[in-house]
Amino acid sequence: MEPSPQPMGVAAGGSQVYPASAYPPAATVAPASVVSAGLQSGQPFPANPGHMSAQHQIVYQQAQQFHQQLQQQQQQQLQQFWVERMTEIEATTDFKNHNLPLARIKKIMKADEDVRMISAEAPVVFAKACEIFILELTLRSWMHTEENKRRTLQKNDIAAAITRTDIYDFLVDIVPRDEMKEDGIGLPRAGLPPMGAPADAYPYYYMPQQQVPGSGMVYGAQQGHPVTYLWQEPQQQQEQAPEEQQSA
Amino acid sequence: MKNRKGYGHQGHLLSPVGSPLSDNESGAAAAAGGGGCGSSVGYCGGGGGESPAKEQDRFLPIANVSRIMKRSLPANAKISKEAKETVQECVSEFISFVTGEASDKCQREKRKTINGDDLLWAMTTLGFEAYVAPLKSYLNRYREAEGEKAAVLGGGARHGEGGGAADDAGPLAAGGGAGDGVDRAGHDDDAHVGLMMGASSVGFGSGGGAAPSYYAAASRKAYGAGEGSKVMEFEGEEENGGVQRGRGFASHLHGAVQW
Repeated sequence: MEPSPQPMGVAAGGSQVYPASAYPPAATVAPASVVSAGLQSGQPFPANPGHMSAQHQIVYQQAQQFHQQLQQQQQQQLQQFWVERMTEIEATTDFKNHNLPLARIKKIMKADEDVRMISAEAPVVFAKACEIFILELTLRSWMHTEENKRRTLQKNDIAAAITRTDIYDFLVDIVPRDEMKEDGIGLPRAGLPPMGAPADAYPYYYMPQQQVPGSGMVYGAQQGHPVTYLWQEPQQQQEQAPEEQQSA
Repeated sequence: MKNRKGYGHQGHLLSPVGSPLSDNESGAAAAAGGGGCGSSVGYCGGGGGESPAKEQDRFLPIANVSRIMKRSLPANAKISKEAKETVQECVSEFISFVTGEASDKCQREKRKTINGDDLLWAMTTLGFEAYVAPLKSYLNRYREAEGEKAAVLGGGARHGEGGGAADDAGPLAAGGGAGDGVDRAGHDDDAHVGLMMGASSVGFGSGGGAAPSYYAAASRKAYGAGEGSKVMEFEGEEENGGVQRGRGFASHLHGAVQW
């Protein structure tokens, strides 16, 4: 599938930079000045203002601003994630000790009857690949934990990361269906007006039928943005590579 | 196009595991409650038995998985037991998914051995393009390191031989690791932390209060080991976090690693 361009790609450039070690509260409501700016910018979800009361419009604007900031923050986290992976690998000098046992990896590979012979380097590659996989999945899951204002990563956070990220769709059977129900993002559902067919705006979001109609669908659709960004990662990676960056 | 045959394997991989894993994790939870780092004690207890459950071999050790997960999270974050188990399952599925695709490619090309490049190709095909650049760099540097030691790739070298090579390269590797680790961790003049962090490569979101002390302790123990057993002791630390159990588990691992 071809990714659609980021609706707020231009705005992202002007966003504030979060230090790697800082985790601003996900539920922070946008300040008034940001709301004012929002009023002037194009809306990602066109709605008929005549059908919304003034109060609903204000709440709606705030929710939009919140989501945009959240997406930008999460994209920055993912961007930094890949820079750190490359930096970390370039710093590796010990290829005899791995964070994951090679014998176990080999056994898992051999569980497939079609697999006959495995070179010595294959489990070594997998040891590093699985490390990256665990780190990325955990980071994406933690984003959901923060959105719900919790400090404990739970199974439903992993389920949310799996539903939001296209490359994880081979994992959908590992988490039960009910774990996939999207929790709200720190805002009361009643505060958001119902919207018609928002999923149509994001055809690449591969399982809209899994979402609860109404505000749940809105959240799910918006969280699909990181998927779009993911397809742009190789280009970003090239741009970042020359820079020297140190982890916090 | 994505390979869906992984779904078939999933039933085989997952269905018999629930009960024994649950027993193991109960022990792990108790260990974690006691303030230990991760769930290594519980796992070691399970692994130390005369007949460890073979189903557990279908997953990577939860202590290793848990430790890597924490590197992605802030220091005060907690991880539920269910979440750790779910990630264990996801990682095994990832290995099977990529291996299946690589295996299909080898069969089409009438080759019998899956190598590192086949895995990188499979990841590209399955949508994990972002992984390929760092892994290609890693694989190339691994091959250089192996070439310098004149190791025979795929020749079934024993773990002991690997240990010897590591000992020979010890000063250089340790120096490099320590340097990088120190820069990354910001701990000046603390070689112990530097060595471990160089080897473990502390990643995004780590650096809180608990992690450095754990790493420092592990490194200290590693240094305390005799020269001849340094590598095994190190691996033991990675697996278990405890000296006595680590020793035993390392021996077991040594036996298992004879390819």
